[in-house]
Amino acid sequence: MRYLVIPGIIAVLSVSVIVAALQLELSPAMIVGDSMQPRAFPIILMVISLTLTVLLALQYHNDPPEKVPWEGSKTWGSVALFLIFYPITVYIDMFIAIAAVMFVMCLMWGERRLLVAGAVAIVTPVSIFFLFDIVLRVRFPRGLLTNWYYG
Amino acid sequence: MIEALQAMASVVLDPYLILLILITTILGVIIGVLPGLGATTGAALLLPFTLTMEPVHAIAVLATIYVSATFAGSITAILINTPGTSAAAATTFDGYPLAQRGEAGRALGIAVVSSTIGGVFSVIVLCVAAPLLARVAYEFRPPEYFALTLFGLSMLATISSGGTVRNLIGGVFGVWLATIGAEPTTGIERFMFGNYELYEGLAFVPVFIGLFAISELLVQSKRINEIVDTIGMKAVKLPTRADYKKIWKTVLRSCGIGTFIGVLPAEGATVASMIGYAEARRWSKNKEEFGKGAVEGIAGAEAANNAATGGAMVPTMVLGIPGSGTTAVILVGLMVHGLRPGPYLFTEQVDTVYQIFGAMLLANLMFMAMGLYAAKLFARISLVPLQILWPIVFALAVIGAYALSSSLLDVWIVLIFGVVGFLARRHGFAVAPIAVGLILGEMVETNFQNSLKMFEGDWWLIATQPLAALFLVFAFLGLFGPVILKQILGKR
Repeated sequence: MRYLVIPGIIAVLSVSVIVAALQLELSPAMIVGDSMQPRAFPIILMVISLTLTVLLALQYHNDPPEKVPWEGSKTWGSVALFLIFYPITVYIDMFIAIAAVMFVMCLMWGERRLLVAGAVAIVTPVSIFFLFDIVLRVRFPRGLLTNWYYG
Repeated sequence: MIEALQAMASVVLDPYLILLILITTILGVIIGVLPGLGATTGAALLLPFTLTMEPVHAIAVLATIYVSATFAGSITAILINTPGTSAAAATTFDGYPLAQRGEAGRALGIAVVSSTIGGVFSVIVLCVAAPLLARVAYEFRPPEYFALTLFGLSMLATISSGGTVRNLIGGVFGVWLATIGAEPTTGIERFMFGNYELYEGLAFVPVFIGLFAISELLVQSKRINEIVDTIGMKAVKLPTRADYKKIWKTVLRSCGIGTFIGVLPAEGATVASMIGYAEARRWSKNKEEFGKGAVEGIAGAEAANNAATGGAMVPTMVLGIPGSGTTAVILVGLMVHGLRPGPYLFTEQVDTVYQIFGAMLLANLMFMAMGLYAAKLFARISLVPLQILWPIVFALAVIGAYALSSSLLDVWIVLIFGVVGFLARRHGFAVAPIAVGLILGEMVETNFQNSLKMFEGDWWLIATQPLAALFLVFAFLGLFGPVILKQILGKR
């Protein structure tokens, strides 16, 4: 039954989209005219998706996919870093968040030299910041460092 | 025609543009040799840096990344048996065995020359074919455009290694993503869940950066401990007269194959190089040498993958339908810089179009020089530690996505689609169909709606329009052609 997991997830998502589409407002007939309601196209797409999902399930039934090996801590640790990136960006500073994620990622992926990891984590975001700020004139979100820099 | 040639020639009179192409060629070659970073990821990461540039300069940068990274994949394919880009996968079949025999310089020389010929040939075809196709495309109305986009979507079935059904599911998912936001005709909000930053829909660039760059970051995290054997090399050697005699027919054939495959919507350099290689083997008198270091094998794959770059620009610029993953990013670049892809580009912005073509031509010549004189140096760059490279890519991805519209939502979109892309790839789904589906989504829906209005709701009348019917037949063949062919060949 393992082969049904992925088609099952796709089917659930497709049905969820159909349910969400059915909640969409209906447009007055005089605006829609001979065309279709805004909900119709997503529903058509999801019906196609469900049909393809059935084909995929049949394909997997005849030729089961190989079991995907579980990735190590480097991969899932990186995903966890993305999650940590959010609160640091929102509540402290985007550039502190980038530097922190880069530093931890460097070490997590196997860099043993703290100085190198630290240098990469500081030099890269600072260089990109000044490139965007001075050359491309992009204003970054307010935070601890940017408040100090922008004044 | 003379105006077009003048516009192309004007590229060499613009020192800033020449400098930009030179720097971007170096960057493109570096991107091509770095493991996991390909033309698509490179172009997506660089797009935010082009924001303040003139449209011509910006698109020239993206196009240069495309051609130079496509070529550069061959350097690592030959020297470390790891294709820098998927388009160079076929080059490993004979490039690495030849390098193992102590002829790495010769292998790289053949790759450089074949790639340049392929690239230059395809730009010439682009210059000739694009305006002709644009003239035909002027006549297209919504039914034709609808059928054409369906054809483009049907070609997703073979876009990459994901498998037909999985690619089509990815494509449908991409088209659905395009429905997020306000519906264009009625303004009714769809799948926004109260987030008004999504009113105009999902921005393409953050989705692309997530799907291509961040998902690749997570894929690369698994490969961190892989050990690669590098083959030493003294210098790149230009092919000898005997080599030219052996490969010229293969190169010409692959130029044609690559350009044709590139022109097909959603097909790209990877498919072209595989077919180029297979055809080189089929027509060769020395089939037994293939896989052991046949120079025709290297030439066949390399000429085809670079010929596909110019070919892929034809549907991208003339019809607004991307010819590959990278041209999908270039298409977004055109939109971001206010250029409307489609036939009108060839009447409203002729100079710009031909300057872009001229820049592509120049880029092809520049990567030839890089390949001949600096391949050895670039090969060393490929050995940069992954634990340093990918955190830098993370910073570029996040800051670049934010810079496009100064929105933190775009940063979250990058991360969310990075994880979605990784999970998809983990289970054998390619991400390119999602990207192409996202681009074509609005075109499909809008043209279908307009066709319905045209035919007063009778949707089947779309098939009564000759050109639309032709595209629908192509779409049918794109989807079911391989199955039908298999059945016929099976019976025989």
